[in-house]
Amino acid sequence: MVDFLVRMERINKLFGRVQALEDVNFNVARQEIVGLLGDNGAGKSTLIKVLSGALQATSGDIYVRGRKAQIRNASDAIALGIETIYQDSALVTQLSIARNLFLGREPIKGPRFLNRMDTALMERVAGELLKRVGIGKTIPATTPISSLSGGERQAVAIARAMHFDSDLIILDEPTNNLGVAETQGVLRFVRNARDSGHSCILIAHNIHHVFQVVDRIVVMRRGRVVADDIDPNKTSVAEVEQVITGEGLSV
Amino acid sequence: MVDAAPAPDQLDLPKAQSGLALRKLISAPEFGPLVLVVLEIAVFTAFSPEFLSVLNISNTLTFTVELGLIALAMTLLMTAGEFDLSVGSLFGFAPVMMWTLYNAGLTSLGVAFVVSLAVAAGIGLVNGLFVTRLKIPSFLVTLGMLLVVRGTALFVTDGFPQRTWSAGGQWLAKTLVGDFYIGPFRVYASIFWFAAAAIVLGYVLTQSKYGNWIQATGGNPTAARARGVNVDGVKLALFVLTAVMSAFAGVISSIRTSAANPNSGSGYELEVIAMVVIGGTALTGGRGTIIGTVLGIFILRVMRNGIVMIGVPGLAYNIFIGAIILGMMALHSWLERRHQTGT
Repeated sequence: MVDFLVRMERINKLFGRVQALEDVNFNVARQEIVGLLGDNGAGKSTLIKVLSGALQATSGDIYVRGRKAQIRNASDAIALGIETIYQDSALVTQLSIARNLFLGREPIKGPRFLNRMDTALMERVAGELLKRVGIGKTIPATTPISSLSGGERQAVAIARAMHFDSDLIILDEPTNNLGVAETQGVLRFVRNARDSGHSCILIAHNIHHVFQVVDRIVVMRRGRVVADDIDPNKTSVAEVEQVITGEGLSV
Repeated sequence: MVDAAPAPDQLDLPKAQSGLALRKLISAPEFGPLVLVVLEIAVFTAFSPEFLSVLNISNTLTFTVELGLIALAMTLLMTAGEFDLSVGSLFGFAPVMMWTLYNAGLTSLGVAFVVSLAVAAGIGLVNGLFVTRLKIPSFLVTLGMLLVVRGTALFVTDGFPQRTWSAGGQWLAKTLVGDFYIGPFRVYASIFWFAAAAIVLGYVLTQSKYGNWIQATGGNPTAARARGVNVDGVKLALFVLTAVMSAFAGVISSIRTSAANPNSGSGYELEVIAMVVIGGTALTGGRGTIIGTVLGIFILRVMRNGIVMIGVPGLAYNIFIGAIILGMMALHSWLERRHQTGT
């Protein structure tokens, strides 16, 4: 039996009468990079939202590190070590890089009740993190997100996931709107994450990107998992495309 | 720590330091309003020497802080991406309620004061619940609440002002608006309430983690929620704060003027929002400044006072206010665009 970090069992999600997820079983092992593929409306995003606390499943169980978990909101997921990086990076453009990195978990200095942010610490840590993701040289941590490029924003979101040492990092379309070099940076990050002990779920439309980094591919179609153990080393891109669209062979 | 009432001489300070500090000052969102308030004072003083007289300054300050208290709370609410049109009606309703309870002999003035603030808090909570739970825009919710609250005040009093002159000698009246003289200056205690509120709220907005949450709530609520920030909680708290501050300001005003008029505070909501926006807080949320609001309060009050002093008919006041709002919006948007392009 593999030691699963996250195990989702028989997850159902109904939006009114529309069944977005139907008896979905989905697992992620420790230090495993899972690619989650599927066409638009296949249920990938819904599944990820259930895991990250943005949505509640209608029925089904989630186990994290073997223990049953209640994920009612984003804070619960973060507390369980599940960090999600959304398509739009989910950053507050008006706030500085440092303030975004620590949003919701600001370090406090001085007496508790004053809730005073330790801005010096935030900016120092942010500076170090930016160096690690490769944009620290030019950009000070006090820069507002609004003056960053798409790739730089993605890097900030990734830096955040790295800092808070999440066991599972979910990347929802992380390479959308990115240039070639920036995309390579994100994929490199995913590979490094496994080496430093993290697990990842990578959602992307671009199958080639997924093939470059993942250990295992899971395919969803119309709210169900139709394949959950595709080895990217033994399968071709064309075969996976057929599974996604549901044409030709049935799996 | 935030300086609640920036002195005009702050402008001269960085000149002695490096040019970098000067450039930082100029690019600050509060710079435009600061220049404007200094300019106003200079122009009005040039036209009318009476403008800087002791009597005029203390009169202007007195009334300024009452609207200012509302503007300070509104700054945080607008930074969180919402606004409240019911503040003017609460300004009128809270003192009416307090004096009605007191005059009917039901309670002491102190208890009546606490009750009216508590009712205001409840009204703020209802505003907040409509906005966060039912997802109705705050414009509509608080517009409805404006009519409900104003209507209640008028109905309860039959439209007549409440008796307040028994306030003399009450400890509450002394604490809120007791006046004393510093040299020739007549100072009301309310200015200290205003200064304290400005310092506390400025601290909350810029230094505390709640300030970060407030800005995130207004800037990108989805992102804030994804980071575990209780977006609805932030908004609820700020609606309550704004309502309580409006009631508090109304009570202060009623004690000072010895009148609890159910109609007082009409139109304040727009003047308060104008003060906040002129100061550099974004109407759309995400960015707010208490220092800017303090400047915005002075810009409008000094203008109102000054144009009367130099002999412009009071009825022309709105022309100037409108022009200031348009001018400041143009300036803010220009600065914003320059900032965005990365200079």
